Amino acid sequence: MNAKLPGLLAAIVLLGRTTAQQSLESDYRLTGPGVTSAFGAQRAVLQTSSAVILDGRREAGYGVVISADGFALAKSSEFSGLKKPALTIDRTKYEKVEVKGADQVWDVVLLKVDARDLVPVNYAPASDIAQGSWVVVNGATTRVNRRALAGIISAKPREIPLSGGAALGIVLKAGDKLEIEAVSDGSGAKEAGLRADDIITAIGGKPVKTVKDIAAALKDRKGGETVKVTYRRGRETKTSDVRLAAKGELFGQEMMSRNDAMSGEVSRRRSGFPRVIQHDVLANTSFIGGPVLDLEGRCLGMNIARANRAETFAIPAEELREIAERMIRAAR
Amino acid sequence: MPERQAAASVSLIRRIMRLVSILLPLLIALAAGHVAEGRPYINDKKAPEDSKDLLAIQKAVQEVLPKARAATVCIELGEGSGTGVIVSADGLILTAAHVSSGVGKKITVIMEDGARHKAETLGLVSDTDAAMARLTDKGPWPFVEMDRDQSTRLGDWVFSLGHSGGFEKERGSVVRLGRLVRMANSTWQSDCTLIGGDSGGPLFDLTGRLIGIHSRVGQQLGVNMHVPMSEYVNHWDAMMKSEFIGEGPFAKKPVKGNGFLGLATESAEDGLRVIKVGARTPAEKAGVKEGDIILRFNGKAFAKREEMRDELREMSAGDEVRLDIRRGGREQTITFELGER
Repeated sequence: MNAKLPGLLAAIVLLGRTTAQQSLESDYRLTGPGVTSAFGAQRAVLQTSSAVILDGRREAGYGVVISADGFALAKSSEFSGLKKPALTIDRTKYEKVEVKGADQVWDVVLLKVDARDLVPVNYAPASDIAQGSWVVVNGATTRVNRRALAGIISAKPREIPLSGGAALGIVLKAGDKLEIEAVSDGSGAKEAGLRADDIITAIGGKPVKTVKDIAAALKDRKGGETVKVTYRRGRETKTSDVRLAAKGELFGQEMMSRNDAMSGEVSRRRSGFPRVIQHDVLANTSFIGGPVLDLEGRCLGMNIARANRAETFAIPAEELREIAERMIRAAR
Repeated sequence: MPERQAAASVSLIRRIMRLVSILLPLLIALAAGHVAEGRPYINDKKAPEDSKDLLAIQKAVQEVLPKARAATVCIELGEGSGTGVIVSADGLILTAAHVSSGVGKKITVIMEDGARHKAETLGLVSDTDAAMARLTDKGPWPFVEMDRDQSTRLGDWVFSLGHSGGFEKERGSVVRLGRLVRMANSTWQSDCTLIGGDSGGPLFDLTGRLIGIHSRVGQQLGVNMHVPMSEYVNHWDAMMKSEFIGEGPFAKKPVKGNGFLGLATESAEDGLRVIKVGARTPAEKAGVKEGDIILRFNGKAFAKREEMRDELREMSAGDEVRLDIRRGGREQTITFELGER
């Protein structure tokens, strides 16, 4: 009698398996705990070396801890809009967060909290690792515990040109004179102190007389570059270095493409980076600003923009390290 | 006594169950009629447990990625772009029906290195989104193996390639990792995130065999749909013969006579004179002007407008027309697609 049992059982189990074959339990999908629990070592690094950015009670993004004495980097354009920013690092909440500098080229802000004995990230020796390599970033956090989400390096490191071309961030009045009507928020023109009624006379030392001249002077310029803008204010003539920004992002004219529509939330500033690495971690924009770790827990870079549903950009480790050291030096 | 017996047989059943659960992968493979060769051990684990398991997945992807990438192409036609994958040395391409959008259409295929080649669409299955195309040049082309037997199972690790948002040489096609999370007859689902431009692109198993073609996405990030190989295998011969299979929704069957040009003509000395071009019509968008003389329509010279009308009746929306015209003493050729009446 027992001899027949195995066959029967196998058939039942097989049947059960066939039915279950319709759908994989969510625990074992890419973002499920069954899979993410394999990244315990990397999660431990996120626990101590990533910073949760809070705006009141809301989680507003992440940062990268870069020094034992309380310096961290975050995404500047996202941080600047916060009303009541605070940081949580490991299990400690820091209510007082000072802004110690900003790098507009990379859209990075340097933050400082009153801390000692923090564990800064350990930079990976090279960010240009093979496609298909695992990467680990911050997943949704609890008040005390960071979580890990994993993906892979999914494209070549490269420059992300300014979307829609380079722009100063000015709107001109109608008429023959290149007279400014308005200056866009978050633009290089605003940072350089240009304002309404200023009259543009030269760009990069070359006189400009028409809108076409300005367009020609800005053509083929790259993200992060600055140009010398000469302008007349009243009787004075001044010259300022103006950072170029993406026309599409500055004026919100970027067409809402079909791809954007199916992506959910994307980063507002997502172009004009001198070099990025790209990964495929499946999440909304919440992990932006946090570190990208390799399997050894080393920092490959910092998440800087979710471009769309399938593509996320990160500042590579080499550049991140340079930015961190330069900004801390300037702040101390 | 009877109680103890029951307990004993329960423990026996447990022991047998344990044995069965160990044997299960093998039994299932036998039931399916084959044992997949070189099946990575990681696919028979519920989830990776440690860095050894994670590295096994990473190593497998990296080993097969160069070959998979070389066979993955960007497909351009009209104003859109999608992806496809070459599956034979003589240039047969698998893609999605909503990418090829019809039978016998001329498309441009871009290789990973940016080289552009001509191709033509073959048959398609309009209700499941499967389609074929063929490169015009003989090759040999880089290609990938297909998993014709469908040996993939739920939970298997997979990776996708595609020209997300269109061809970008500096970036290359984008690779994404995931698992097979749903399997229904004509649609599989993975958590490899897809975006516009990926459509028609390949989904691979960890040994680099083609197991599906990207079709569409759901609202959630984890909902990414693929057409399984069975759809291609089951309709192979008909697709090779350029048949239009099914009634949609992924491609519209051409309807004879529903093509729309958007201009009116009258007989002229050596052809047909355009006397009116409708606003926002295909003819206007292509740059046809009133006063143009149509010398030839798809290579044929017409003396009466009824002749051109009869020719149009044999064509459908989306078909290409070539007009040789004369404007102010100069001849030129205008090529565009018919709109839908």
